[in-house]
Amino acid sequence: MQFVVNGLVTGAAYALVALSFSVVFRVGRFFNFTHAAVFTWAGYFGYLCWTILGLSLWAGALLSVCLSAVLGVLLELSVYMPLHRRRASGVVLLLVSLGLYTIMQNTISMLFGDEIKRLSGNTVAEGLSVWGARATRIQLAIVIICVVVFVAFGILLRLSPFGTRLRAVADDPDLAAIQGVQVHRFRLAASALGSGLAAVVSLLMGLDVGITPTVGLNALMMGVVAVIAGGVDSTPGIFLGGILLGLAQHLGVWKIGTQWQDAIAFAVLILFLVLRPQGFFGKPLRKAAV
Amino acid sequence: MNAFRCQKLSKSFDGVHAIDGVTLEFPASGITAIIGPNGAGKTTLLNVLTGFLRPKAGRCFLGERETTHLPPHRIARLGVARTFQDLRLIGQVSVLDNVLVARPHQRGERLLPALLRFGVADEEACNRDEAMRWLRFVGLEKKAEDLAGEMSYGQQKLLTLAVCLATEARVLLLDEPVAGVHPEMVSRILCLLRELKKQGKAIVFIEHDMAAVRQVAESVIVMDEGKVIAQGQPAEVLERPEIMEAYVG
Repeated sequence: MQFVVNGLVTGAAYALVALSFSVVFRVGRFFNFTHAAVFTWAGYFGYLCWTILGLSLWAGALLSVCLSAVLGVLLELSVYMPLHRRRASGVVLLLVSLGLYTIMQNTISMLFGDEIKRLSGNTVAEGLSVWGARATRIQLAIVIICVVVFVAFGILLRLSPFGTRLRAVADDPDLAAIQGVQVHRFRLAASALGSGLAAVVSLLMGLDVGITPTVGLNALMMGVVAVIAGGVDSTPGIFLGGILLGLAQHLGVWKIGTQWQDAIAFAVLILFLVLRPQGFFGKPLRKAAV
Repeated sequence: MNAFRCQKLSKSFDGVHAIDGVTLEFPASGITAIIGPNGAGKTTLLNVLTGFLRPKAGRCFLGERETTHLPPHRIARLGVARTFQDLRLIGQVSVLDNVLVARPHQRGERLLPALLRFGVADEEACNRDEAMRWLRFVGLEKKAEDLAGEMSYGQQKLLTLAVCLATEARVLLLDEPVAGVHPEMVSRILCLLRELKKQGKAIVFIEHDMAAVRQVAESVIVMDEGKVIAQGQPAEVLERPEIMEAYVG
């Protein structure tokens, strides 16, 4: 049972990372490595707020989420928007984001060092009993926040004009523009939303296991696997993808050892890419009948 | 009064003149057809007029307002809507949502009002009513909840028209509105264009179907190699032997 609980907690975290990545990916339409850097920076914003500035849990969390959203918006404004305006290809955008990621990650290493930083101080969290297994309060919070965020995001995306337009921009920015939608404003909103979501899960994971300068890239990779497994355009699919990935990793190590956790994740990725590239709920577009 | 006019408009791609010194005036209401062979520059002209392409030279005006360097969403907000030759819709959302995206000035399109829901419910209901009105106009009200990508080609053509109308545009630029659809659907679309003309809309459409052009167009512009080579009333222009032979067949 402990493996199942651990799998659910890890899966909920992956699902949140995947959701944050999918928001940025769908609207930006390229593999944005700087999302991993924003994720990492969010953890270090939390470290600054809580450990250095001594802010309360909620004030530090709120400030860190806001700073991360601003960082995402600044990156979009200063780098990606000019490139989108010049109709840069996805490869160009990916390479630029990779370069930026490296710079931002190295900056963290220089400022804070490469050793693990604990956001929750040096106390060992007390475990609570869940279905006969043990889980910390932070781990339970990850699962609860994951469910709340997915429900709220699903409602926002499906039932609000903001969500409808965000989907329109993601689907066809030129078409959205001709209908009077300010595409650049929605790109900024997606950056803020995606970065804010990434910050929430970064802080939660940081409080659970601590942070290092490479935490963002590891999380992003798992998020991408969950997105591909679930279907990039499906919010329930991404949730399911994240949870199943977490469960697969933890149930897998029960039998074959922890060193195979990443291999399990990428085996899942390859399986989906080969057998079901649209993911669980992603729908291939049907050709319209004449 | 003109809906749209352009002066000495030019656009080239890698040295090839897609449009070359085009000067045109479109009336404030009525139906104008643009015809010409493939590669004549018809779609490029629409792309420049709607801000998708920057002209190399020349200027565009909507009424008295210059639109030459405005981005597409600003031109759309000034009252210009267009359709694309390759039927562009948001295939994975409902027919109604496709139309709702086009409704202008929605408070709920901003992230904070969308999250907090302050004063957006009435506006959303109003926009839904308006979107349904245009779906009824094109005869798709019963399909409102269907996925746009799962409708027939002809129905998708009707939907693109409803989307244009939901923007509250007074100028409609339609790229081959009846191409590839069933003859019954052609009649239906042409009927709608006539109805829209009665409502005072300015309609400019690119078309290869000369029967359709003859049925609804009040004036015809013929383009070739990026230039306007003839314009006037259909009865006059389409009877010219050189036009018939070279461009109509």
